Amino acid sequence: MDNTDGRNLRSSESWNHAGRPFITTSVLFSFLLGVPFLWKSVEIYRSPLPFHDIDSLSDQIESTPLRFPCNFHAVFVGFRSTDPDNLRSQIQDGINQLTHQNSQCGSCNFSLSVTVQNRDDQCSETLAHSSTTCSYRCGVIKRNVFGVGVDDTVDESLNDVFSGCSEESGKMYSVVVVNKENANGEDEVKAVVGKGRHAWIVGNGLEERYGDMVARVSEIFVKVFMNGGREEDSIQGEFMPVGSDGRIVLSFSLLNSNPRDWVYDWDFQRIDEALLAPVTKALAPIANISVESQVLYHTPKSSFSSWDKKLQSYIFRTSALPFFVNSNEWHLDTSAGASGRSKILQFVVYIPSGKECPLLLQLPNGEISKTNGFISPIWGGVIVWNPGNCDKDSESSSRNTISPQDLEQIVEIFLGQFRQLFGFKSEAFYTSGLGTYKILPSDRGFTEWELDVLSTKHTCFNLHSCSTTLGSLSRLVRSLPRMIIKDEIGEQVKYSLKAAKLAQSNASLGEYSSSASSSREARSLAENAFFHPSIMSVSYFSYEHCFAVYSPFFLPVAGHVVLAALREWKRYKQEKAKYLTWLTRKKTA
Amino acid sequence: MASLLRSLILLLIVQSFLFAIAFGSNEVEEFSEALLLKPLPDRKVLAHFHFENRAPPSNSHGRHHHLFPKAISQLVQKFRVKEMELSFTQGRWNHEHWGGFDPLSSMNAKPVGVELWAVFDVPQSQVDTSWKNLTHALSGLFCASINFLESSTSYAAPTWGFGPNSDKLRYGSLPREAVCTENLTPWLKLLPCRDKDGISALMNRPSVYRGFYHSQRLHLSTVESGQEGLASGIVLEQTLTVVLQPETTSVESNMQPSWSISSLFGRKVVGRCVLAKSSNVYLQLEGLLGHELKNVDTEIEAHELWKNAEFELSLKPERVLRESSSFLFIFDIDKSSDSEPFDLGLTWKLPSKWSCQQAPLHASRFLMGSGNERGAIAILLKATESQEKLSGRDLTNGHCTIKANIFQIFPWYIKVYYHSLQIFVDQQQTTDSEVLKKINVSPSTDKVSSGMMEMMLELPCEVKSVAISIEYDKGFLHIDEYPPDANQGFDIPSALISFPNHHASLDFQEELSKSPLLSSFKEKSLVRSYTEVLLVPLTTPDFSMPYNVITITCTIFALYFGSLLNVLRRRIGEEERFLKSQGKKTGGRLKQLLSRITAKIRGRPNEEQSSSESPAAQSSVLSSKLIFKIILVAGAAAAWQYFSTDK
Repeated sequence: MDNTDGRNLRSSESWNHAGRPFITTSVLFSFLLGVPFLWKSVEIYRSPLPFHDIDSLSDQIESTPLRFPCNFHAVFVGFRSTDPDNLRSQIQDGINQLTHQNSQCGSCNFSLSVTVQNRDDQCSETLAHSSTTCSYRCGVIKRNVFGVGVDDTVDESLNDVFSGCSEESGKMYSVVVVNKENANGEDEVKAVVGKGRHAWIVGNGLEERYGDMVARVSEIFVKVFMNGGREEDSIQGEFMPVGSDGRIVLSFSLLNSNPRDWVYDWDFQRIDEALLAPVTKALAPIANISVESQVLYHTPKSSFSSWDKKLQSYIFRTSALPFFVNSNEWHLDTSAGASGRSKILQFVVYIPSGKECPLLLQLPNGEISKTNGFISPIWGGVIVWNPGNCDKDSESSSRNTISPQDLEQIVEIFLGQFRQLFGFKSEAFYTSGLGTYKILPSDRGFTEWELDVLSTKHTCFNLHSCSTTLGSLSRLVRSLPRMIIKDEIGEQVKYSLKAAKLAQSNASLGEYSSSASSSREARSLAENAFFHPSIMSVSYFSYEHCFAVYSPFFLPVAGHVVLAALREWKRYKQEKAKYLTWLTRKKTA
Repeated sequence: MASLLRSLILLLIVQSFLFAIAFGSNEVEEFSEALLLKPLPDRKVLAHFHFENRAPPSNSHGRHHHLFPKAISQLVQKFRVKEMELSFTQGRWNHEHWGGFDPLSSMNAKPVGVELWAVFDVPQSQVDTSWKNLTHALSGLFCASINFLESSTSYAAPTWGFGPNSDKLRYGSLPREAVCTENLTPWLKLLPCRDKDGISALMNRPSVYRGFYHSQRLHLSTVESGQEGLASGIVLEQTLTVVLQPETTSVESNMQPSWSISSLFGRKVVGRCVLAKSSNVYLQLEGLLGHELKNVDTEIEAHELWKNAEFELSLKPERVLRESSSFLFIFDIDKSSDSEPFDLGLTWKLPSKWSCQQAPLHASRFLMGSGNERGAIAILLKATESQEKLSGRDLTNGHCTIKANIFQIFPWYIKVYYHSLQIFVDQQQTTDSEVLKKINVSPSTDKVSSGMMEMMLELPCEVKSVAISIEYDKGFLHIDEYPPDANQGFDIPSALISFPNHHASLDFQEELSKSPLLSSFKEKSLVRSYTEVLLVPLTTPDFSMPYNVITITCTIFALYFGSLLNVLRRRIGEEERFLKSQGKKTGGRLKQLLSRITAKIRGRPNEEQSSSESPAAQSSVLSSKLIFKIILVAGAAAAWQYFSTDK
């Protein structure tokens, strides 16, 4: 006991009575203070991404598909006593029945108005509640226009009638039903879909076949104007042949498979100027299209054809088509003019060699293909063109040029293939259960209503791909907590979301082309963010590396400091207990 | 729909063709091919393939093409290239035996590896960007690492020392690049017939790459159209130069080996490329005939020339042209076919000897000094025998002089001391101003740009040798700047020696000839020669060193810190007294020692441990604590493992 007292007294006198605990605690606290700095120094820069907005965008796109407003207008001309309200509800029922109330992206949020114009050019009409801005002026459509003349003139006159209506909220699609009774009793009903956003049905005694007419009108609205005359999703959205930066390069190649037999050349520049320029201009809101052409030589196909005696020609079966394109010898080349993520569509005209001329493609049912060509989705199309005279000796070895007539045929097939790549058919008649509809072709390759459908589909596809890209980016970023994310990526994501919002609001306003172009922007920005070079390169600064660099110093030192602090604490407690017992002793004593 | 579309399109096409007739241009894209064969004095044969593709001025470049490669045209359009040359070479041109003073060697003797230079038609500020983009595009096009020329440390902007004088010129070379068939295939892809037909069908890969030297070159230049609103035309020249060794059966060592196309290449020409405007094979025989047949009228003797006492050709040439010292036999391969392939052969009957024309000075370059710290580069120019005969002397001021330009790029890690430049003429050191007429130096900046030296020497004609030496220090690279296999050393690109007053040309006095090969020979080309590539070993670190250094220094610091903390904190007197008291209580030296050791190990006096405790109990406490510690460590390890493998 004396011993303890003595020690206590001595230590209280000595300088290090408070000094040692002070040193220990100050070292410990400086270490603890240093921890946040260390943490800060090994932290990596991550631009904050709007995860919440990304999630809400993809939820929104999945749960509430985008619907575009469409204004349908049915005009019945030459009907005596029909109640427009009744007609309207019937057509509406018909449309609902055909659409099955499906609400997939790009479908129509339609409003219907019906006008009935009787023989004295007096009208009674039922307007949709939403749009009253653009109404049909009564009596403008004359019945006698439909009787005579070519469909094109009728189309143009209707174009003039409805031209004032297109710019208002949403697009106005019209169907005109004309009842002619003064004709000579033919029972023919003619249904034509024009180049603009209108169609007409002309016939005799339509008033009697009133139910039929209603069904056909609603069919035109749904099957043609809403679905673009395509099969139910014949080509899925993923096959939209547009590059993620919204550009398409159409690369045309003329392949002379064996120039020793004959060499053909073409004057493609004129084709480009005369025929392809209107098409690319028409498709401008959907994609930025550029056209290139080249002529290649010594490019045999990679599979063999067989001789058919009956047809006196070489036959290539469609089952062997996957082996037609010879990627070893066909140096079609990606274009240096196209930037990284543009879509290149290859269109190839294949001229067979003398050994396999004429070469015909055979369909699975044994018939010979009329176009003598085929498409490969996403990749492009191939046309086999046989020189007029397959006799080798009669051809001079000098270079021949494909004649304008042949070129015309080739371009026609090109356009068909191009339309097919976008999911459109190129037939002059659309047949359904209720009858056939004649479809007027546009000189721009795509009619206005087809372009509308393309715009809506494209908007949907772009928004969907934008949301999935952003979704996978956010998943990637969240799964790698030590990945560096630059500000640029954050900004691109922000702008992409902004453009997507803009596209959605434009779509709800019915501005097809502007929503298509802003959705294009949204998609390309999302792809830019996902494929940003900084993400692909040094994306990971690992914990292992951190540990290996810092542990040799901090682990032993921290051990020392912590142990010292613990010991001081223990000693303090001991001493205090002793002091307390000493105090109590002293008190009792 | 189809029928309507058809009628409409027909109308448009007819219109457009009428348009075409009215405004049609008569110029078309042209392609021509040629092969030049030439026996060399050292029993080898040189084969020079020459392809030329011309695109006339047009506004559709890069978009619509018939013969001209679309990729090249798009390159020219996109990067606004005015002139460009790219060469892939393997092997070194033997200037003594293969010639140094003819258009063939001055244009096709290239430095080892890849060499690229380009002149751009863009504002001065954009030249570097264009160059960088061009290198990337070419690297994709030719399957080569040309993109390494992108970094500013690997290219230079020569002013007058290189050749074309332009401030928009960029030059770079990669001596390390291995050239092989993967570079030849994309090069062939630019030809309309590729290697399927015509002369290029001879390019059998094993025989081409078996040669002593091969250099594939691509030169493109734009031709101004001179018309308003019309883009310029493009001329693309592709050459492949190969030096091959014919297999000999003759025992006589002084007899030149006889050869034929099929024995050289293992293939025969079975017809021309039908797309070529002209396709010819030339055979050039140098020197030997000059003196013998000097007085003979070549027109008359043409049919006898190809079969004489000295040699015999297997085919009769179409025509024979002569120049001052050589003969050129021209063959047309039009008539050849599958059944009758074109197979030119040369059979020697008598031993013959001749020599090639040489450049005025023969250049070589070597390193001096040893060690990893410093060294010196020396360039040695030696007069060749043919010097007196040359016409390119400059007789200004009454002295006969030879001008020589030296152009050299130094990578930044070769830190050259330009003040140490010394010039020895005939082993006598000269003051600089005597022979050095002009010098342009752009020093290197560490890790930013490479150094460049251009100098113009004016030497007396009777000079025997000139030596130029310059000292350098070796720099240190950052750890991540080292290439793979850094121990191999670093290459210094070849220096270029050119003789601005000497121009090589071969004029066969053939006005009618439209052959692009002959017209390219006719143009006066600057005589130039490249020196060897130098290999400089730099200090290479042990690449695991940073971690070692970190570990060792950290351990030392931790030890120091720990002991310092202990010194400050421990109460030595107290512990000693405690131990003493314990020792008194327990007694026994061994026990005392043990407890002292345990105290030492555990770092503090075991105060709780009472004297009554038996050694066994003490050891059990010790072991239980030990077990606890082991479990703790194992647990920490397991947790670490768990968290680290969690990802």
